[in-house]
Amino acid sequence: MRVELNKIVKKFGAKKALDIPAWLLEDGEVVGLLGSNGAGKTTFLRIMLDLLRPDQGEVRMDGRDVQRDAGWRARTGSFLDRSFLIDYLTIPEYLEFVGSTFNLDKDEIGRRLEPFEDFLPLSRIDRNRLIRDLSTGNAKKVGILAALFVHPEFVVLDEPFANLDPPSQIRLKDILRTMAADPGRSMLISSHDLGHVTDVCGRITLLQSGLIQRDVETNERTLEELNTWFASEGVSSAT
Amino acid sequence: MTPSPVPGLPGAIRTYFLLARNQFRVSMRQMQSQQGWFMRIVLAVMMAYSAFILLTLGFFSAQLWPGAEPVLIVNRSLLAAFISLFFIRFLFQRTPRMKIVPYLHLPVSRPRLVAFFQAASLLSIHNFYPLLFFLPFWMRYVVQEGSPAGHLMWIGAVLLLILASHFANLLLRGILRQRAGLFYIWMSLFITTAFVDEAAGLGMQQRLSEFLFSRILSGDFLGLFLLLCFTLFVVIASTISLSRSIREPEGSAEATAASRVRSFDVPAEWGLLGQLVRIELLLMWRNRRPRHYLFISLLFSTLYLVFMLSAGGTFGGSAFAAFLGLFASGGFALNYGQLMFGWDSTHYTAFVSRNVPFHRLVQAKAIVLQASCLFLFVASLPLFVWLRPDLVPLHFAFLFYNAGITVILILELATRNRQRVDIGRSGGFFNYEGFSARHWLWFIPTALPPVLFMQVMHETPRLGLTILATSGLIGLMTTRWWTRYFAAGLTARKHIMLEGFDSRAG
Repeated sequence: MRVELNKIVKKFGAKKALDIPAWLLEDGEVVGLLGSNGAGKTTFLRIMLDLLRPDQGEVRMDGRDVQRDAGWRARTGSFLDRSFLIDYLTIPEYLEFVGSTFNLDKDEIGRRLEPFEDFLPLSRIDRNRLIRDLSTGNAKKVGILAALFVHPEFVVLDEPFANLDPPSQIRLKDILRTMAADPGRSMLISSHDLGHVTDVCGRITLLQSGLIQRDVETNERTLEELNTWFASEGVSSAT
Repeated sequence: MTPSPVPGLPGAIRTYFLLARNQFRVSMRQMQSQQGWFMRIVLAVMMAYSAFILLTLGFFSAQLWPGAEPVLIVNRSLLAAFISLFFIRFLFQRTPRMKIVPYLHLPVSRPRLVAFFQAASLLSIHNFYPLLFFLPFWMRYVVQEGSPAGHLMWIGAVLLLILASHFANLLLRGILRQRAGLFYIWMSLFITTAFVDEAAGLGMQQRLSEFLFSRILSGDFLGLFLLLCFTLFVVIASTISLSRSIREPEGSAEATAASRVRSFDVPAEWGLLGQLVRIELLLMWRNRRPRHYLFISLLFSTLYLVFMLSAGGTFGGSAFAAFLGLFASGGFALNYGQLMFGWDSTHYTAFVSRNVPFHRLVQAKAIVLQASCLFLFVASLPLFVWLRPDLVPLHFAFLFYNAGITVILILELATRNRQRVDIGRSGGFFNYEGFSARHWLWFIPTALPPVLFMQVMHETPRLGLTILATSGLIGLMTTRWWTRYFAAGLTARKHIMLEGFDSRAG
């Protein structure tokens, strides 16, 4: 899916939270969205998913305005925070609901969940536990799983590695790499984990104070450059 | 180091001062942020009108009951009046528990927190408006009878009753929150006792009231002492209940009981609509507050209805019958339905970020509300047949009216909800969270028209019922149209609702 942001401006009171003249995610591209706390990452993602109305500008998915045409929702899998979960459901109930939004029947849902068994072992987990009774990490896995198992054309994840134990982080990275290799699937992953993001994403968009500071292809030096950049940003913001 | 804002004060007083200052700021912010000017004016007019009525009744009771002794009548009715006031409190008065929670992680003594919020809860309008009647009544009528000591003891007893009903309400809410089963047993026993007392013509409650307050007015200290003991009991019991409740883990930290996790399947051919209906039903079953709405509605449509239908000789008017018809099958839709979409506030994103068309969401909610009308209709039908067979046609007519019209009116309100309801943690029945003045005011166009209409049609009730049932049928047949209408509204208000649901203010 091709995603473009045109002349997006969002203010909270007098403060400009986001100012993006133009930004493009090509079909099949995997982009990492980086930035410090308050840089505008979540605002960026929420506007993209039409959960927040920008003061100016528009978001287009495959050329269609996301506010006017909701067709993109049937092709997008996203997980930003716990509000994406219905926490009084059990995991199977929730996944069944998500599957039904993609017209998947129970058998097909089961088949599509199989590759994720290592990430969230549904066969071993207590299926009668409500999502609200799960640990933060497991609840997050459910949200990520719900975004991915439906085979969406566009994946949007906010901080997917946070709160996950190290084995789960490694498995998730593998899953994202595998899915990214699928032609025609675009992904946008926001994270504070520079190592994971540079491992998975082919391009990095760096936000600071609502503005795009850098938008570069990843290479072997990207991680080091990002570390240097964030270290200097930390010094400048501290002074 | 930041200097203390109130240096020199002893620890306890400093704590209470800081808590009082915080609560004052919270109240000011809530007043500024919650209501628009129009709502404030409407509420102010309604409050002024109610105050005027109460003051007039207090000063001119003799004109209200010509030839009778006002003090005797009031003494006879005092217990019943306070039981009624207690029910009003139970419907509308907040519990202080939710206010304490934000302080629990701070190094503040918990007993002090409980003591402060118990005392602060007394600043409730429910403790003041009864005085608008009782003070003028006391000054005009009571002081003309008995001794000066008796006058003071009588007004003291009224104040103790107000205090007792305040803390009894907090206690009962605590019991409802911690042991819902025990609450329902108590309520059932109470309603049954009241019913037997009324139906058997015993009048025990009136006799007890007259005996107690006449003795107090005559200067008998024993009656006042008994009241004082009861008040102390509910103050202490509610304080203990509150102290225990704040030690309990929040909903998310406690595993949900296995009986609540039982699930059910919906036919695969129902697709997304079936899933949405299931999600709505599970919402009711697995969350305490909506579940209480369900039980209370069921209680009204069965036990309480027995009481109301039996009182047909006293309240036999068309308007009252219409009121019964409206609530007997529509009680749940009216109570639960008005907070729909608000119930979803913590997970509304789960719907709007996915391929869930709004018309499907509205359709699922309408199906649940309409099914609740049918369910309560069936539950209460035997009572109508047994106690008031003449009202069975009315019960049928209101089934169609509620399913076809009341549900539409409720959804019109619900699709405009934008206040967050933290459903997993929002306690029990009639917690205020999610309510605004709009909800109270919307009750007027929702509940009054059929009642007034039946009053107007009291000479031709069959025609009135036929018109109501027909309008309901038309509402049912045009479901597709109004579902689209509400879906368009939800689309237009999507971002505002998300913003409101995301806000934890208030």
